[in-house]
Amino acid sequence: MFEARELMVFYENMLALNNVSLQCEKGSIIGIFGSNSAGKSTLMYALSGIILDIKKKEEMRGGERISLFGNIFFEGQDITNVKPHLRAKMGIVLCPERRRIFPESSVMENLKIGAYLSPKNDTKANIDYVLDLFPRLKDHLKRQGGFLSGGEQQMLAIGRALMARPKILLLDEPLLGLSPAYMDIVINGTKAIRDTKGISIIVTEQYARPVMPIIDRGYILENGSNVLSGTKEELLDNPDVKSAYFGV
Amino acid sequence: MEIIIYGIINSIILSLMSLGFALVYSISRLPNFAHGALYITAGYIVWLLVNKAGLPYLPSILLGLGATGLIGALMYRFIIIRIRGMEISEIIGTYAIGLAIIEGLRWGGLRGMTYTLPVFVQGSMSIGGVTVDYHRLIIVGAGVLTFALLFLFTRYNRIGLALRGIAQDERAAMMLGIDSDMTAIISLAIGSGLAGLAAVLLLPLGNIVVEQGYNVLIFAVAVCIIGGLGSWTGTIVAAFIIGFAQILTETFISSHFVMVVALLAIIVTLLIKPSGIFGKQKELEERV
Repeated sequence: MFEARELMVFYENMLALNNVSLQCEKGSIIGIFGSNSAGKSTLMYALSGIILDIKKKEEMRGGERISLFGNIFFEGQDITNVKPHLRAKMGIVLCPERRRIFPESSVMENLKIGAYLSPKNDTKANIDYVLDLFPRLKDHLKRQGGFLSGGEQQMLAIGRALMARPKILLLDEPLLGLSPAYMDIVINGTKAIRDTKGISIIVTEQYARPVMPIIDRGYILENGSNVLSGTKEELLDNPDVKSAYFGV
Repeated sequence: MEIIIYGIINSIILSLMSLGFALVYSISRLPNFAHGALYITAGYIVWLLVNKAGLPYLPSILLGLGATGLIGALMYRFIIIRIRGMEISEIIGTYAIGLAIIEGLRWGGLRGMTYTLPVFVQGSMSIGGVTVDYHRLIIVGAGVLTFALLFLFTRYNRIGLALRGIAQDERAAMMLGIDSDMTAIISLAIGSGLAGLAAVLLLPLGNIVVEQGYNVLIFAVAVCIIGGLGSWTGTIVAAFIIGFAQILTETFISSHFVMVVALLAIIVTLLIKPSGIFGKQKELEERV
């Protein structure tokens, strides 16, 4: 249903993504693992179309030249040049790295802004769904987003992305800087989203161990290249993966 | 007493003048230097509708506001969209549009004292021993009403919430399906409409002269810099600071220095706290 074919992204002459292809079937969870600067965020920006906006802004400013090659398909359509807000409308929603909560808006308002695309009748049901998924948010509905803790912000960011009614949810490093307790909440929440709503999810993470149990398929990025891919079992059995990503 | 009442009136007038500019900047990060020109255009359109087309006053005002909003939207859609993101070009571009409009009106014959709009209600009343005419009271009422409506619009309306999202984090809002060009068009339409609203409220106090366009722009920029670009609270607080400072200058020094107060306030702010009272922008020095 969602497929990237031979994606290449250059920042000036630096190759950030090299020939990355990936597939995501409906209702599956895909994990993308790699260290810092492996190209995870660039890949997410390319999949969500934000890279087109970055590219345009850089061009306008006379900054870095960004070039993008390859194709992205969604439900049989080539969406490589579709703008990010239209991709969100089609159902591809990115929950960005470092959360990017609207800091001056309350938790409720963050969710309401997220509901921009959904009809009014759905909004209330969606808010209830998000609050059931992450009950901790209920205690802080009136608090400004900027004053939440990192874990609460992450829950809010995922909730806000859900308000846009995604068919495929892109989570960029959702566990960044979270305590183990919050990691569990976020990981269980992610799985629950797939199980209850059938939303496909692509999640990137530096550290594979907490995410591994819930994924169906994983890809490993190194220096912008996809060095390894396979099902969860295949990855777990691979000795290189064990040493590099599990510290065994 | 006189100082307090006229201070409040003057502050509301200033915030009405600068609200449109502040709104466009906070939502689209676009310094709309055509603000003053839109202000004077709105006044002129209403004057034309009343005096040449013979329409009654109220419909002319509504049509005039709509037309000004439309001009703002078209300005973005056909001109500014091409230079969006090039900061210096945005300033030069909008300022050039403003100059073209103002000087075009002057060339087209908008000069002298013949162009005036009537006040809404004649007469005056006395508050605590100070005579205030009804029109100024209407200005205060309309100003407060405008703030209240804007507040409600940006908290409870879907489009208003989208504008707030874009204002806080453009890319995060984009990921949720909000189109930044569309919000920029809306923000310019609302901002220009607010310039027009300020014009129909304030122009009856004097004549429609093109120089007003420049004055309004200077006041708007002054208020926004002092309050902190992009902050609505800052805009209103700064309007009150300058508003009272001007009235105090007028009462105790001389009315010649009223314009100097605003400009002096810009310099003082830039020296002491360059991002303004409530400003978060660190790049202010580079932008203005």
